[in-house]
Amino acid sequence: MPEIKVTPLGAGQDVGRSCILVSIAGKNVMLDCGMHMGYNDDRRFPDFSYITQNGRLTDFLDCVIISHFHLDHCGALPYFSEMVGYDGPIYMTHPTKAICPILLEDYRKITVDKKGETNFFTSQMIKDCMKKVVAVHLHQTVQVDEELEIKAYYAGHVLGAAMFQIKVGCESVVYTGDYNMTPDRHLGAAWIDKCRPDLLITESTYATTIRDSKRCRERDFLKKVHETVERGGKVLIPVFALGRAQELCILLETFWERMNLKAPIYFSTGLTEKANHYYKLFITWTNQKIRKTFVQRNMFEFKHIKAFDRAFADNPGPMVVFATPGMLHAGQSLQIFRKWAGNEKNMVIMPGYCVQGTVGHKILSGQRKLEMEGRQILEVKMQVEYMSFSAHADAKGIMQLIRQAEPRNVLLVHGEAKKMEFLKQKIEQEFHVSCYMPANGETTTIFTNPSIPVDISLGLLKRETAIGLLPDVKKPKLMHGTLIMKDNSFRLVSPEQALKELGLAEHQLRFTCRVHIQDPRKEHETVLRVYNHLKGVLKDYSVQHLPDGSITVESILIQATAHSEDQGTKVLLVSWTYQDEELGSYLTSLLKKGLPQ
Amino acid sequence: MSAWQAWFVARARRRFAMSRECAQLLPRVCAALADPRQPGSDDTCLEKLLDWLRDLTELEPTLNVVRDNPCLTEFFTSVLALPEPSPSILSFTLRLAGLLAASEDCFQHLQQENLLFRLFGSGGTLNRAVWEDASVRSGWVEGVHSMMHHQPALRFLCNGGGIDVIFTLQGDPSLFVASAASQLLVHMLTLSVESETTTPLSEKDCNWPACAQMIIKHIEDSLQSGCASHINQSLKLLTSLFGSCRATWTEVLWLRIAKQVESFLIEDSVQTRHMLANLLLNMSRSPVFCDTEGSFWALVTSALEHLTPVQAGPLAVGILSLHKCPQDVRIQAMTVLLQPMDCILRAASQPLEYAGLLDESVSDPSTVESLLSSKSSCASLLCQTLAHLEKLLSLIHLPVDLPYTSLLRSFVTILQFCSGLLIPATPLGSKISQILIGCGRVQKSALDALAALSERKGCDTVIGSLFDILLVYLESPNTSPTVLKKSFQAMSKWLARLPEMSCFNSQWPTEKILQDVFLVLQKRLCSPCWEVRDSSLEFLTSLIKSMRDQDEFRESLLSSEVPKLTENLLEDPESYVRASAVTAVGHLTFITYSLPESAVAGNQYNKEDTTAKLQDILSTDPESFPRRAVISIFTKWLKQGCTGQAEDTEQFVSRAIQTVERDLDWEVRIGGLELVEVFCVQALCRVGLPKCPYAPASSTVTSSIQQNESLQIFCRAKLFKFLFWSLCDYDKPVGQKACDILLVLRASLSPSSMLKDCQGAGDLSAGRGIPWLQRTLRQGSLAQNFPTDAGNGVDFEDPESMMLALGTIDLEELHDELNKSSDHVEKSPQSLLEDILATVGTIDENEADCY
Repeated sequence: MPEIKVTPLGAGQDVGRSCILVSIAGKNVMLDCGMHMGYNDDRRFPDFSYITQNGRLTDFLDCVIISHFHLDHCGALPYFSEMVGYDGPIYMTHPTKAICPILLEDYRKITVDKKGETNFFTSQMIKDCMKKVVAVHLHQTVQVDEELEIKAYYAGHVLGAAMFQIKVGCESVVYTGDYNMTPDRHLGAAWIDKCRPDLLITESTYATTIRDSKRCRERDFLKKVHETVERGGKVLIPVFALGRAQELCILLETFWERMNLKAPIYFSTGLTEKANHYYKLFITWTNQKIRKTFVQRNMFEFKHIKAFDRAFADNPGPMVVFATPGMLHAGQSLQIFRKWAGNEKNMVIMPGYCVQGTVGHKILSGQRKLEMEGRQILEVKMQVEYMSFSAHADAKGIMQLIRQAEPRNVLLVHGEAKKMEFLKQKIEQEFHVSCYMPANGETTTIFTNPSIPVDISLGLLKRETAIGLLPDVKKPKLMHGTLIMKDNSFRLVSPEQALKELGLAEHQLRFTCRVHIQDPRKEHETVLRVYNHLKGVLKDYSVQHLPDGSITVESILIQATAHSEDQGTKVLLVSWTYQDEELGSYLTSLLKKGLPQ
Repeated sequence: MSAWQAWFVARARRRFAMSRECAQLLPRVCAALADPRQPGSDDTCLEKLLDWLRDLTELEPTLNVVRDNPCLTEFFTSVLALPEPSPSILSFTLRLAGLLAASEDCFQHLQQENLLFRLFGSGGTLNRAVWEDASVRSGWVEGVHSMMHHQPALRFLCNGGGIDVIFTLQGDPSLFVASAASQLLVHMLTLSVESETTTPLSEKDCNWPACAQMIIKHIEDSLQSGCASHINQSLKLLTSLFGSCRATWTEVLWLRIAKQVESFLIEDSVQTRHMLANLLLNMSRSPVFCDTEGSFWALVTSALEHLTPVQAGPLAVGILSLHKCPQDVRIQAMTVLLQPMDCILRAASQPLEYAGLLDESVSDPSTVESLLSSKSSCASLLCQTLAHLEKLLSLIHLPVDLPYTSLLRSFVTILQFCSGLLIPATPLGSKISQILIGCGRVQKSALDALAALSERKGCDTVIGSLFDILLVYLESPNTSPTVLKKSFQAMSKWLARLPEMSCFNSQWPTEKILQDVFLVLQKRLCSPCWEVRDSSLEFLTSLIKSMRDQDEFRESLLSSEVPKLTENLLEDPESYVRASAVTAVGHLTFITYSLPESAVAGNQYNKEDTTAKLQDILSTDPESFPRRAVISIFTKWLKQGCTGQAEDTEQFVSRAIQTVERDLDWEVRIGGLELVEVFCVQALCRVGLPKCPYAPASSTVTSSIQQNESLQIFCRAKLFKFLFWSLCDYDKPVGQKACDILLVLRASLSPSSMLKDCQGAGDLSAGRGIPWLQRTLRQGSLAQNFPTDAGNGVDFEDPESMMLALGTIDLEELHDELNKSSDHVEKSPQSLLEDILATVGTIDENEADCY
């Protein structure tokens, strides 16, 4: 029975790093190739040795698909392609291909700078990796090879994020990556057609949460920033180069405009231009409002947000600064934090998750005395706020996507085991489909029942309707004919048409059986007795006694001969075609019982 | 212990040892972790906690750690008492207990407390519902593996039935658990044999230690079971055993199972055969088997014969890499790899012109022919074989002679098939050409193999068709960017070999091929696809690097449009391309710099213009790649003396560092410091001061005049401001590099002797601001922030002030400060323990947020 196998190397019952192997109809696909930011050694990458055991990576894997540019989805890609040795095709959307190297480069720089690591991918490797990437458009069917095709759907979440449908023949899998079912300030909601995949692999970050309206969080954010600025404080917002930062920039820009505020807003130099460039380039990937107003005014050309110079941090008076990196673990954001931390008028707003081992993690967990470099103690008096702006589908959104795609099976990844368990039950109850949640390293096998489309010849269809069997979608029925496999397609035609098309002569296959009857009479007499017996029993059938001494019942032929060694025994040779197999079997069993006296 | 080792141990002690603070925090952490009411800590914290405790047990006797910190055993007891411990905490507990039980006395201690049995024995974790969770099983296996360092642990496992659990876990649904169980059995077998054997081992059971006997019996039973999954598990185990253990007893073990393993060769299971090839490969690498005359190598030969070409490929390439191996086995292995290539040549209907690679009497080619004529197997067989050949060809010491000329022909033929240039009339040939046409996978593999082959001598005769086909690939619009990149790489490698190919030069002049290459390069430099433009520029740079000394090359290049187009790409919209263009233009300068004016004039190629353009990129390009490329090229120019006379060079360096000192990218600033370093060394050499950075200045050689001269040069070039500012850079590597350079300068300029002269002269104005600078640097290098009012009277261009600064500022102290670990937050155990404590209870909401 055909099967689909799924083995998460990462994101199986965790939210660390996504890397999922899917084997479908003999094709092997890797979905995402993420990195765990919480580790500084090899544990940050998925353990690829489980794939390399199968021989050369490039021979084993047919392609790698990256859903979006977040490092927990693409951070291990240069390592995989340039250091582990995968040399096959890599697919991602155009915006992801453009933005991915920026984030990878950002992370590489921090890693090499802060930790002095040398065993890490280089800039050249990031570039070489990106040169291998094939960029895809939304809804474009990309033929990876003759059998394997993929198609991207809009996922919201971040610019360029996509869900991917992977299809081999009639079997298909949809992988959602991270997605968001509600539109936000700069992106639209995820959408997929009713593609009825055999398996939907969906993220489940907020498996048990129904998230409040984003508007509330936005209001809260603006209020906090405004209050701080009003009382003359400074606001630091540590962000990653691209993504959430732009959403917050739009938010502040609009607010500043509306409230006619004068306090300066700064953004790490270089990034605003770059972000602006990409959002302009990929305007079709943003939400409808931005697209509509783009002609009059580009939402990303900020009036109030200026490039930051490190000298500005010492300026007196209120200001808002967006600085990288987002977890306060190095570079500019940490530098500014150290300057401002001691003043209770100031505020730091963390708009995302921070891994252990970062200053961001410490202050979010409430620590206020931090031992910094050189064993200096930094006392944090500034206010610390955490505001989640991450754009994942909540439980309602996940159910909505399942309803939309109508999969035959669901598999949960990128979530916590306990929450997944809850969602799994909910999905199974509501949709009556099997739901799986493998841990990392565990293989889930899903048996598929592929439906193979077959064209039926008009002649055959007419013949069927002639005997009163009109086609009805709701009443499946059996049709007889000859199945022709030609040019990768199937057709059901009448046997005659098949013979004609294929230029073949007809052969008749007959089943034969010998039945011994004890009858001392002459052969023709025995035949007559058999004829009369059958005539009496098979009243609805045409039983004929032919001049050559044989008997026919429909296509069944019966001939009698005397046994060569025992004249008292007659041998009845019964033969029939496969169409009359039932009748043939019945006749033989009837004759085996003997003739009535 | 060497001084280095002692230093490392001391550093590790400082970093990981149990400090008073940690000893106070640990009980609270243990209590929090064992508290079911607290939401769990995230897995990375638990992993890191385990890392630290592992380090700790390596520094101190484990029993001491356990006795000094009773909270650890209390933690085990508390977790065991929980009715439903969380899988991650239980897994952590098992791993920690195993880690501590690795030391024999601690093992006994935990045994006395009855903890090990309750954790690892049949009455403990195994019967709990959480055993269903893969992370618990994984923790159990890892814990057992950690403790498996002594005989009591072996006996504990074997007598308590634990070994049966491991046998079962070999077939675990989790790949991680199954693999770890297999590794554990290998470890236990080795430990048992090596620690418990008293008499020489024979094939008979009675000599083997009890634990080893159990494992071997399990292996034998599995091999005879007829069940594919059990057979595979045992083959996997044996593969890893023979891969990791090279002791002589492995041969005795092999004799016990050889017959059974041999029988698998004739069976049909694809998976078993694949495993078999791996097993034999690992065995062939073991010295235990390399001298065996008879049966082992016969089995390898038989495997090479019986396995399909795809299965036998990895074994064959492994055998051919061995330096010690019977000749007939080597021939058989070579046959496996060469047969597909031979088949390709025969399919191309060129038997007369191109003799096949193999004598047909050696092997039957029909299997390979049928694989190559099937759509489903042709490309994979070729890709795999080409990759194996590439691997062999890339070996520096290849122990066998491969038929290089024939291989080259076959690679070229494959590329011809793929491009549709060759459609032979033979049935096999026409079938293969149909399958291969446009096949990117095969193209890439063939081009890689072709590039590797360029390192080998003796394949000059078909060189014409080689360049023809490479040019076809470079020119064809159907060539994908990835294939094009590989075509460029192969072309570059083969072009570099042109000068040594006498036959080629006489038949077809180098100029012609170079002209063709530059013609196609011109086209590719204008490609709408950035990947193509970038690969073209990389190709050009690599050509210049390897061929710039050749007249024909220089002439062909300069007479083409390539230099101009390359320069145009300095303004490419894609930053990667601009960076590659900078590098290419920089290398082009090496050519034009050495040419007389007349040769360059026709090209409108002007070095001043180029420098100005690159300087402009350095100061204005919004992306860091091009800026990094510029500063790196400037350093290369300086190293190779392409920056003109001394005064020009001084100005050149001065301009560059003034541009980079405020660059936002720390790697550009580091690049600037590297430029400064080269400049300083060159300047010191020029005035006759020792160029070795750390050589003590000899008073007989150095004179104050020379020192003064170089000091003035550095001041004029405004180096000092850049160097002192860099000491307080945001990014630590910059500060470290600047400090290193200042130390070199101080060693070479010996300010102490000069300061004496200064003091004699009574000039006090020079010292203005230096104490301030000293104070600022001490604070600034810690805070990584140089004050923005910058200066406070310090004249960075005044030689005497700078001499005073070099002499009085404690650079060693700064050097130590800058090199001190800056990762307290990230790596110190105290920080980790504080984080765990602080996080417990607050983690829930933030954790799932992710990115």
